[in-house]
Amino acid sequence: MTGDPWGRTLAKLPEIARGLLVGAVTTIQVTTGALAVAIVLGIVFAVLKTAPSRPLRALATAYVEVFRAVPVLTQLFVIYFGLAGIGIKLNPLPAAIVGFGINGGAYLTEVFRAGIEAIHQGQLEGAFSIGMTRPMAMWYIILPQAVRVVLPPIGNFAIGLLKDTSIASAVAAPELMFRARSLVEATFLSTQIYLMVALLYLAMSLPLSRAVRHLEAAMGRGHQA
Amino acid sequence: MIAAAASPGVWPLLRIWMPQLLTAAQGTLRMTAAAFAIAAVVGLLFGLARLSRHRMLSRFAVGYIEVVRGTPALTQLFLIYFSLPSVGIVLRAFEAAVIGLGLNGAAYLAEVYRAGIQAIHRGQREAAYSIGMTHLEAMRFIILPQAVRIVLPPMANYAIALLKDTSIASLISAPELMLRARDLSSEYFMPMRLYLTAGLMYLIMAYPLSRAVRFLEYRLSHGR
Repeated sequence: MTGDPWGRTLAKLPEIARGLLVGAVTTIQVTTGALAVAIVLGIVFAVLKTAPSRPLRALATAYVEVFRAVPVLTQLFVIYFGLAGIGIKLNPLPAAIVGFGINGGAYLTEVFRAGIEAIHQGQLEGAFSIGMTRPMAMWYIILPQAVRVVLPPIGNFAIGLLKDTSIASAVAAPELMFRARSLVEATFLSTQIYLMVALLYLAMSLPLSRAVRHLEAAMGRGHQA
Repeated sequence: MIAAAASPGVWPLLRIWMPQLLTAAQGTLRMTAAAFAIAAVVGLLFGLARLSRHRMLSRFAVGYIEVVRGTPALTQLFLIYFSLPSVGIVLRAFEAAVIGLGLNGAAYLAEVYRAGIQAIHRGQREAAYSIGMTHLEAMRFIILPQAVRIVLPPMANYAIALLKDTSIASLISAPELMLRARDLSSEYFMPMRLYLTAGLMYLIMAYPLSRAVRFLEYRLSHGR
Protein backbone atom coordinates (compact mmCIF):
# COMPACT_ATOMS: atom_id res chain seq x y z
CA MET A 1 0.00 0.00 0.00
CA THR A 2 1.28 3.40 -0.90
CA GLY A 3 0.88 6.63 0.98
CA ASP A 4 1.42 7.64 4.56
CA PRO A 5 -0.52 5.16 6.73
CA TRP A 6 -1.20 7.69 9.48
CA GLY A 7 -2.55 10.14 6.93
CA ARG A 8 -4.80 7.48 5.47
CA THR A 9 -5.91 6.54 8.97
CA LEU A 10 -6.90 10.14 9.60
CA ALA A 11 -8.81 10.27 6.33
CA LYS A 12 -10.69 7.07 7.14
CA LEU A 13 -11.04 7.81 10.84
CA PRO A 14 -14.84 8.27 10.87
CA GLU A 15 -15.38 4.93 9.15
CA ILE A 16 -12.84 3.10 11.33
CA ALA A 17 -14.07 4.68 14.55
CA ARG A 18 -17.68 3.83 13.79
CA GLY A 19 -16.80 0.21 13.03
CA LEU A 20 -14.73 -0.17 16.17
CA LEU A 21 -17.29 1.48 18.43
CA VAL A 22 -20.07 -0.76 17.10
CA GLY A 23 -17.73 -3.68 17.79
CA ALA A 24 -17.04 -2.43 21.31
CA VAL A 25 -20.78 -2.35 22.03
CA THR A 26 -21.02 -5.97 20.88
CA THR A 27 -18.02 -6.82 23.08
CA ILE A 28 -19.92 -5.42 26.05
CA GLN A 29 -23.01 -7.41 25.03
CA VAL A 30 -21.06 -10.66 24.77
CA THR A 31 -19.35 -9.94 28.09
CA THR A 32 -22.55 -9.18 30.00
CA GLY A 33 -24.45 -12.05 28.37
CA ALA A 34 -21.70 -14.56 29.12
CA LEU A 35 -21.29 -13.16 32.63
CA ALA A 36 -25.00 -13.70 33.31
CA VAL A 37 -24.83 -17.30 32.06
CA ALA A 38 -21.64 -17.92 34.05
CA ILE A 39 -23.14 -16.53 37.27
CA VAL A 40 -26.26 -18.70 36.98
CA LEU A 41 -24.22 -21.83 36.18
CA GLY A 42 -21.71 -20.92 38.89
CA ILE A 43 -24.41 -20.68 41.57
CA VAL A 44 -26.15 -23.88 40.45
CA PHE A 45 -22.97 -25.95 40.36
CA ALA A 46 -21.61 -24.44 43.58
CA VAL A 47 -24.81 -25.47 45.35
CA LEU A 48 -24.42 -28.94 43.81
CA LYS A 49 -20.77 -29.04 44.83
CA THR A 50 -21.63 -28.36 48.45
CA ALA A 51 -24.64 -30.71 48.40
CA PRO A 52 -24.81 -33.74 50.71
CA SER A 53 -25.41 -36.05 47.72
CA ARG A 54 -22.25 -37.62 46.39
CA PRO A 55 -23.29 -38.07 42.70
CA LEU A 56 -24.30 -34.40 42.55
CA ARG A 57 -20.95 -33.36 43.99
CA ALA A 58 -19.16 -35.59 41.49
CA LEU A 59 -21.14 -34.07 38.62
CA ALA A 60 -20.21 -30.54 39.69
CA THR A 61 -16.56 -31.51 40.14
CA ALA A 62 -16.42 -33.06 36.67
CA TYR A 63 -17.93 -29.92 35.15
CA VAL A 64 -15.40 -27.68 36.86
CA GLU A 65 -12.35 -29.83 36.11
CA VAL A 66 -13.15 -30.49 32.45
CA PHE A 67 -14.13 -26.97 31.47
CA ARG A 68 -11.21 -25.39 33.30
CA ALA A 69 -8.67 -27.72 31.71
CA VAL A 70 -9.64 -27.10 28.08
CA PRO A 71 -8.94 -23.81 26.24
CA VAL A 72 -11.98 -21.62 25.75
CA LEU A 73 -11.12 -21.41 22.04
CA THR A 74 -11.51 -25.18 21.75
CA GLN A 75 -14.85 -24.98 23.56
CA LEU A 76 -16.03 -22.22 21.22
CA PHE A 77 -15.04 -24.29 18.18
CA VAL A 78 -16.93 -27.32 19.52
CA ILE A 79 -20.03 -25.21 20.07
CA TYR A 80 -19.86 -23.25 16.84
CA PHE A 81 -18.23 -25.55 14.25
CA GLY A 82 -18.73 -28.88 16.02
CA LEU A 83 -22.46 -28.48 16.62
CA ALA A 84 -22.94 -27.10 13.11
CA GLY A 85 -21.25 -30.24 11.81
CA ILE A 86 -23.93 -32.39 13.41
CA GLY A 87 -26.78 -30.17 12.28
CA ILE A 88 -27.17 -27.70 15.18
CA LYS A 89 -26.40 -24.30 13.70
CA LEU A 90 -25.95 -21.46 16.18
CA ASN A 91 -25.36 -17.86 15.21
CA PRO A 92 -21.90 -16.58 16.17
CA LEU A 93 -23.17 -14.24 18.88
CA PRO A 94 -25.27 -16.77 20.86
CA ALA A 95 -22.51 -19.36 20.34
CA ALA A 96 -19.97 -16.99 21.88
CA ILE A 97 -22.25 -16.10 24.79
CA VAL A 98 -23.03 -19.76 25.50
CA GLY A 99 -19.40 -20.81 25.08
CA PHE A 100 -17.92 -18.15 27.35
CA GLY A 101 -20.85 -18.61 29.74
CA ILE A 102 -20.33 -22.36 30.17
CA ASN A 103 -16.58 -21.91 30.41
CA GLY A 104 -16.89 -19.09 32.93
CA GLY A 105 -19.45 -21.05 34.93
CA ALA A 106 -16.71 -23.56 35.78
CA TYR A 107 -14.53 -20.79 37.20
CA LEU A 108 -17.36 -19.10 39.06
CA THR A 109 -18.47 -22.44 40.55
CA GLU A 110 -15.25 -22.42 42.55
CA VAL A 111 -15.76 -18.77 43.48
CA PHE A 112 -19.30 -19.38 44.74
CA ARG A 113 -18.27 -22.60 46.49
CA ALA A 114 -15.61 -20.66 48.40
CA GLY A 115 -18.23 -18.00 49.13
CA ILE A 116 -20.71 -20.55 50.46
CA GLU A 117 -18.08 -22.29 52.56
CA ALA A 118 -16.98 -18.96 54.01
CA ILE A 119 -20.39 -18.57 55.66
CA HIS A 120 -20.40 -19.95 59.15
CA GLN A 121 -21.95 -23.41 59.55
CA GLY A 122 -24.16 -22.06 62.33
CA GLN A 123 -26.11 -20.03 59.76
CA LEU A 124 -27.18 -23.20 57.97
CA GLU A 125 -28.02 -24.94 61.24
CA GLY A 126 -30.01 -21.92 62.36
CA ALA A 127 -31.97 -21.97 59.10
CA PHE A 128 -32.70 -25.69 59.52
CA SER A 129 -33.78 -25.15 63.13
CA ILE A 130 -36.49 -22.71 62.08
CA GLY A 131 -37.78 -25.31 59.65
CA MET A 132 -36.18 -24.25 56.35
CA THR A 133 -35.33 -26.84 53.75
CA ARG A 134 -31.81 -26.96 52.32
CA PRO A 135 -32.71 -25.08 49.09
CA MET A 136 -34.56 -22.45 51.13
CA ALA A 137 -31.64 -22.03 53.48
CA MET A 138 -29.29 -21.68 50.52
CA TRP A 139 -31.48 -19.11 48.78
CA TYR A 140 -32.53 -16.97 51.74
CA ILE A 141 -29.68 -17.33 54.21
CA ILE A 142 -26.41 -18.50 52.69
CA LEU A 143 -26.27 -16.99 49.19
CA PRO A 144 -27.21 -13.42 50.22
CA GLN A 145 -24.34 -13.46 52.68
CA ALA A 146 -21.98 -15.12 50.23
CA VAL A 147 -22.46 -12.21 47.79
CA ARG A 148 -20.13 -10.08 49.89
CA VAL A 149 -17.36 -12.62 49.58
CA VAL A 150 -17.79 -13.39 45.88
CA LEU A 151 -18.27 -9.88 44.49
CA PRO A 152 -14.58 -8.93 44.11
CA PRO A 153 -13.55 -12.21 42.42
CA ILE A 154 -16.57 -11.95 40.11
CA GLY A 155 -15.40 -8.45 39.21
CA ASN A 156 -11.94 -9.77 38.40
CA PHE A 157 -13.50 -12.55 36.36
CA ALA A 158 -15.54 -9.99 34.41
CA ILE A 159 -12.38 -8.06 33.51
CA GLY A 160 -10.71 -11.24 32.28
CA LEU A 161 -13.87 -12.12 30.36
CA LEU A 162 -14.04 -8.71 28.68
CA LYS A 163 -10.59 -9.29 27.20
CA ASP A 164 -11.17 -12.97 26.43
CA THR A 165 -14.22 -12.15 24.31
CA SER A 166 -11.70 -11.03 21.68
CA ILE A 167 -11.29 -14.76 21.00
CA ALA A 168 -14.92 -14.83 19.83
CA SER A 169 -13.65 -13.14 16.67
CA ALA A 170 -12.47 -16.64 15.67
CA VAL A 171 -16.09 -17.78 15.41
CA ALA A 172 -17.03 -14.60 13.53
CA ALA A 173 -18.92 -12.96 16.40
CA PRO A 174 -18.97 -9.30 15.32
CA GLU A 175 -17.23 -7.92 18.43
CA LEU A 176 -14.39 -5.41 18.62
CA MET A 177 -11.58 -7.71 17.49
CA PHE A 178 -13.63 -9.11 14.62
CA ARG A 179 -14.55 -5.64 13.38
CA ALA A 180 -10.90 -4.67 13.62
CA ARG A 181 -9.83 -7.67 11.57
CA SER A 182 -12.32 -6.86 8.81
CA LEU A 183 -11.28 -3.20 8.83
CA VAL A 184 -7.64 -4.23 8.55
CA GLU A 185 -8.48 -6.47 5.61
CA ALA A 186 -10.18 -3.54 3.90
CA THR A 187 -7.61 -0.84 4.68
CA PHE A 188 -4.30 -2.68 5.47
CA LEU A 189 -3.84 -0.24 8.37
CA SER A 190 -3.02 -3.01 10.85
CA THR A 191 -0.79 -1.03 13.23
CA GLN A 192 -3.14 1.92 13.51
CA ILE A 193 -6.31 -0.14 13.89
CA TYR A 194 -4.94 -2.69 16.37
CA LEU A 195 -3.49 0.13 18.47
CA MET A 196 -6.91 1.76 18.55
CA VAL A 197 -8.39 -1.58 19.53
CA ALA A 198 -5.91 -1.89 22.38
CA LEU A 199 -6.86 1.62 23.54
CA LEU A 200 -10.55 0.76 23.43
CA TYR A 201 -10.01 -2.38 25.52
CA LEU A 202 -7.95 -0.32 27.97
CA ALA A 203 -10.70 2.28 28.15
CA MET A 204 -13.18 -0.46 29.03
CA SER A 205 -11.04 -2.55 31.39
CA LEU A 206 -9.17 0.10 33.39
CA PRO A 207 -12.29 1.67 34.94
CA LEU A 208 -13.56 -1.83 35.70
CA SER A 209 -10.35 -2.82 37.45
CA ARG A 210 -10.37 0.45 39.38
CA ALA A 211 -13.91 -0.34 40.49
CA VAL A 212 -12.94 -3.84 41.55
CA ARG A 213 -9.98 -2.58 43.56
CA HIS A 214 -12.33 -0.13 45.22
CA LEU A 215 -14.77 -2.93 45.93
CA GLU A 216 -12.02 -5.10 47.40
CA ALA A 217 -10.99 -2.30 49.71
CA ALA A 218 -14.60 -1.64 50.66
CA MET A 219 -15.23 -5.30 51.39
CA GLY A 220 -12.45 -5.12 53.91
CA ARG A 221 -10.32 -7.95 52.68
CA GLY A 222 -8.30 -8.49 49.56
CA HIS A 223 -8.79 -11.29 47.14
CA GLN A 224 -5.94 -13.48 45.96
CA ALA A 225 -6.24 -13.80 42.21
CA MET B 1 -11.90 -35.68 2.03
CA ILE B 2 -11.65 -39.07 0.39
CA ALA B 3 -10.97 -40.68 3.73
CA ALA B 4 -13.95 -38.89 5.25
CA ALA B 5 -16.26 -40.26 2.60
CA ALA B 6 -14.89 -43.78 2.71
CA SER B 7 -14.68 -44.52 6.41
CA PRO B 8 -17.57 -43.87 8.77
CA GLY B 9 -15.69 -45.27 11.78
CA VAL B 10 -13.69 -42.98 13.99
CA TRP B 11 -10.80 -45.36 14.75
CA PRO B 12 -9.25 -45.47 11.27
CA LEU B 13 -9.45 -41.69 11.19
CA LEU B 14 -7.89 -41.35 14.60
CA ARG B 15 -4.98 -43.41 13.34
CA ILE B 16 -4.42 -40.79 10.64
CA TRP B 17 -5.09 -37.81 12.91
CA MET B 18 -3.28 -38.78 16.07
CA PRO B 19 0.32 -38.67 14.81
CA GLN B 20 -0.32 -35.20 13.39
CA LEU B 21 -2.11 -34.00 16.51
CA LEU B 22 0.61 -35.40 18.76
CA THR B 23 3.28 -33.60 16.76
CA ALA B 24 1.22 -30.43 17.03
CA ALA B 25 0.83 -30.96 20.79
CA GLN B 26 4.61 -30.95 21.01
CA GLY B 27 4.47 -27.52 19.39
CA THR B 28 2.00 -26.46 22.07
CA LEU B 29 4.34 -27.68 24.81
CA ARG B 30 7.39 -26.05 23.21
CA MET B 31 5.50 -22.77 22.83
CA THR B 32 4.33 -22.95 26.46
CA ALA B 33 7.85 -23.64 27.74
CA ALA B 34 9.47 -20.88 25.70
CA ALA B 35 6.82 -18.27 26.53
CA PHE B 36 6.97 -19.26 30.20
CA ALA B 37 10.74 -18.78 30.24
CA ILE B 38 10.38 -15.27 28.78
CA ALA B 39 7.55 -14.44 31.18
CA ALA B 40 9.51 -15.70 34.19
CA VAL B 41 12.65 -13.70 33.39
CA VAL B 42 11.07 -10.50 32.06
CA GLY B 43 8.42 -10.69 34.79
CA LEU B 44 11.11 -10.75 37.46
CA LEU B 45 12.73 -7.66 35.94
CA PHE B 46 9.42 -5.80 35.92
CA GLY B 47 8.55 -7.04 39.40
CA LEU B 48 11.85 -5.71 40.75
CA ALA B 49 11.51 -2.50 38.75
CA ARG B 50 8.08 -1.94 40.22
CA LEU B 51 9.50 -2.16 43.74
CA SER B 52 12.49 -0.02 42.85
CA ARG B 53 13.08 3.23 44.69
CA HIS B 54 13.73 4.93 41.38
CA ARG B 55 10.49 6.68 40.56
CA MET B 56 10.88 6.53 36.79
CA LEU B 57 11.68 2.85 36.84
CA SER B 58 8.75 1.87 39.01
CA ARG B 59 6.36 4.09 37.03
CA PHE B 60 7.51 2.50 33.80
CA ALA B 61 6.91 -0.95 35.28
CA VAL B 62 3.44 0.02 36.54
CA GLY B 63 2.57 1.43 33.11
CA TYR B 64 3.71 -1.73 31.36
CA ILE B 65 1.80 -3.98 33.76
CA GLU B 66 -1.43 -1.97 33.53
CA VAL B 67 -1.43 -1.66 29.74
CA VAL B 68 -0.55 -5.29 29.10
CA ARG B 69 -3.07 -6.59 31.63
CA GLY B 70 -5.71 -4.19 30.34
CA THR B 71 -5.65 -5.46 26.76
CA PRO B 72 -6.37 -8.91 25.30
CA ALA B 73 -3.45 -11.21 24.55
CA LEU B 74 -4.98 -11.74 21.12
CA THR B 75 -4.71 -8.02 20.30
CA GLN B 76 -1.10 -8.09 21.45
CA LEU B 77 -0.36 -11.09 19.24
CA PHE B 78 -1.95 -9.34 16.26
CA LEU B 79 0.10 -6.21 16.88
CA ILE B 80 3.31 -8.22 17.06
CA TYR B 81 2.59 -10.47 14.11
CA PHE B 82 0.72 -8.19 11.70
CA SER B 83 1.97 -4.71 12.66
CA LEU B 84 5.64 -5.11 13.48
CA PRO B 85 6.46 -5.95 9.83
CA SER B 86 5.48 -2.37 8.93
CA VAL B 87 8.40 -1.13 11.04
CA GLY B 88 10.69 -3.73 9.53
CA ILE B 89 10.45 -6.46 12.18
CA VAL B 90 9.22 -9.65 10.54
CA LEU B 91 8.71 -12.60 12.85
CA ARG B 92 7.54 -16.09 12.07
CA ALA B 93 4.19 -16.96 13.61
CA PHE B 94 5.68 -19.29 16.22
CA GLU B 95 8.25 -16.69 17.33
CA ALA B 96 5.63 -13.97 17.41
CA ALA B 97 3.41 -16.17 19.58
CA VAL B 98 6.24 -17.02 21.98
CA ILE B 99 7.31 -13.38 22.32
CA GLY B 100 3.72 -12.10 22.56
CA LEU B 101 2.56 -14.62 25.14
CA GLY B 102 5.85 -14.27 27.02
CA LEU B 103 5.65 -10.48 27.28
CA ASN B 104 1.97 -10.77 28.18
CA GLY B 105 2.74 -13.26 30.95
CA ALA B 106 5.58 -11.07 32.22
CA ALA B 107 3.02 -8.47 33.32
CA TYR B 108 1.09 -11.08 35.29
CA LEU B 109 4.18 -12.68 36.83
CA ALA B 110 5.60 -9.25 37.73
CA GLU B 111 2.66 -8.85 40.12
CA VAL B 112 3.18 -12.38 41.44
CA TYR B 113 6.85 -11.63 42.17
CA ARG B 114 5.98 -8.29 43.74
CA ALA B 115 3.49 -9.96 46.08
CA GLY B 116 6.05 -12.65 46.93
CA ILE B 117 8.79 -10.14 47.70
CA GLN B 118 6.50 -7.94 49.74
CA ALA B 119 5.37 -10.95 51.76
CA ILE B 120 8.90 -11.39 53.15
CA HIS B 121 9.21 -9.65 56.50
CA ARG B 122 11.22 -6.44 56.22
CA GLY B 123 13.31 -7.51 59.20
CA GLN B 124 15.00 -9.93 56.82
CA ARG B 125 16.14 -7.08 54.63
CA GLU B 126 17.21 -4.93 57.56
CA ALA B 127 19.22 -7.80 58.99
CA ALA B 128 20.89 -8.27 55.58
CA TYR B 129 21.82 -4.58 55.48
CA SER B 130 23.10 -4.72 59.04
CA ILE B 131 25.61 -7.42 58.17
CA GLY B 132 26.83 -5.19 55.34
CA MET B 133 24.95 -6.50 52.31
CA THR B 134 24.02 -4.15 49.49
CA HIS B 135 20.45 -3.84 48.22
CA LEU B 136 21.17 -6.22 45.34
CA GLU B 137 22.92 -8.75 47.56
CA ALA B 138 20.03 -8.72 50.01
CA MET B 139 17.60 -9.37 47.14
CA ARG B 140 19.71 -12.09 45.62
CA PHE B 141 20.72 -14.01 48.75
CA ILE B 142 18.03 -13.23 51.33
CA ILE B 143 14.73 -12.05 49.87
CA LEU B 144 14.35 -13.94 46.57
CA PRO B 145 15.22 -17.40 47.93
CA GLN B 146 12.46 -17.03 50.50
CA ALA B 147 10.01 -15.50 48.04
CA VAL B 148 10.36 -18.55 45.77
CA ARG B 149 8.25 -20.62 48.19
CA ILE B 150 5.46 -18.07 47.92
CA VAL B 151 5.53 -17.49 44.18
CA LEU B 152 5.88 -21.12 43.10
CA PRO B 153 2.17 -22.08 43.23
CA PRO B 154 0.88 -18.97 41.38
CA MET B 155 3.66 -19.37 38.81
CA ALA B 156 2.62 -22.96 38.22
CA ASN B 157 -1.01 -21.88 37.90
CA TYR B 158 0.08 -19.33 35.34
CA ALA B 159 1.91 -22.06 33.40
CA ILE B 160 -1.30 -24.08 33.19
CA ALA B 161 -3.30 -21.07 32.00
CA LEU B 162 -0.55 -20.38 29.47
CA LEU B 163 -0.72 -23.94 28.15
CA LYS B 164 -4.37 -23.34 27.29
CA ASP B 165 -3.81 -19.78 26.06
CA THR B 166 -1.31 -20.95 23.45
CA SER B 167 -4.41 -22.12 21.56
CA ILE B 168 -5.04 -18.51 20.49
CA ALA B 169 -1.69 -18.57 18.69
CA SER B 170 -3.54 -20.64 16.08
CA LEU B 171 -5.29 -17.39 15.12
CA ILE B 172 -1.99 -16.03 13.83
CA SER B 173 -1.43 -19.50 12.32
CA ALA B 174 1.39 -20.48 14.65
CA PRO B 175 1.90 -24.25 14.47
CA GLU B 176 0.35 -25.81 17.56
CA LEU B 177 -2.46 -28.18 18.48
CA MET B 178 -5.46 -25.98 17.70
CA LEU B 179 -4.12 -25.00 14.27
CA ARG B 180 -3.57 -28.66 13.34
CA ALA B 181 -7.08 -29.50 14.54
CA ARG B 182 -8.50 -26.69 12.42
CA ASP B 183 -6.55 -27.77 9.35
CA LEU B 184 -7.66 -31.38 9.77
CA SER B 185 -11.20 -30.19 10.35
CA SER B 186 -11.29 -28.33 7.05
CA GLU B 187 -9.77 -31.37 5.38
CA TYR B 188 -12.12 -34.03 6.82
CA PHE B 189 -15.23 -31.97 7.63
CA MET B 190 -15.53 -33.53 11.07
CA PRO B 191 -15.23 -30.55 13.38
CA MET B 192 -16.99 -32.18 16.34
CA ARG B 193 -14.69 -35.20 16.49
CA LEU B 194 -11.55 -33.18 15.87
CA TYR B 195 -12.22 -30.42 18.37
CA LEU B 196 -13.35 -32.90 21.01
CA THR B 197 -10.13 -34.84 20.40
CA ALA B 198 -8.12 -31.64 20.70
CA GLY B 199 -10.02 -30.73 23.86
CA LEU B 200 -9.26 -34.14 25.33
CA MET B 201 -5.57 -33.68 24.55
CA TYR B 202 -5.51 -30.32 26.34
CA LEU B 203 -7.29 -31.96 29.25
CA ILE B 204 -4.67 -34.72 29.37
CA MET B 205 -1.90 -32.12 29.41
CA ALA B 206 -3.46 -29.63 31.81
CA TYR B 207 -5.31 -31.76 34.36
CA PRO B 208 -2.33 -33.66 35.83
CA LEU B 209 -0.49 -30.33 36.03
CA SER B 210 -3.30 -28.68 37.95
CA ARG B 211 -3.48 -31.66 40.35
CA ALA B 212 0.26 -31.32 40.90
CA VAL B 213 -0.12 -27.61 41.64
CA ARG B 214 -2.87 -28.27 44.15
CA PHE B 215 -0.61 -30.81 45.85
CA LEU B 216 2.22 -28.25 45.84
CA GLU B 217 -0.05 -25.59 47.32
CA TYR B 218 -1.15 -28.00 50.04
CA ARG B 219 2.43 -29.02 50.85
CA LEU B 220 3.68 -25.45 50.97
CA SER B 221 0.83 -24.21 53.12
CA HIS B 222 0.96 -27.18 55.53
CA GLY B 223 4.73 -27.52 55.36
CA ARG B 224 5.38 -25.58 58.51
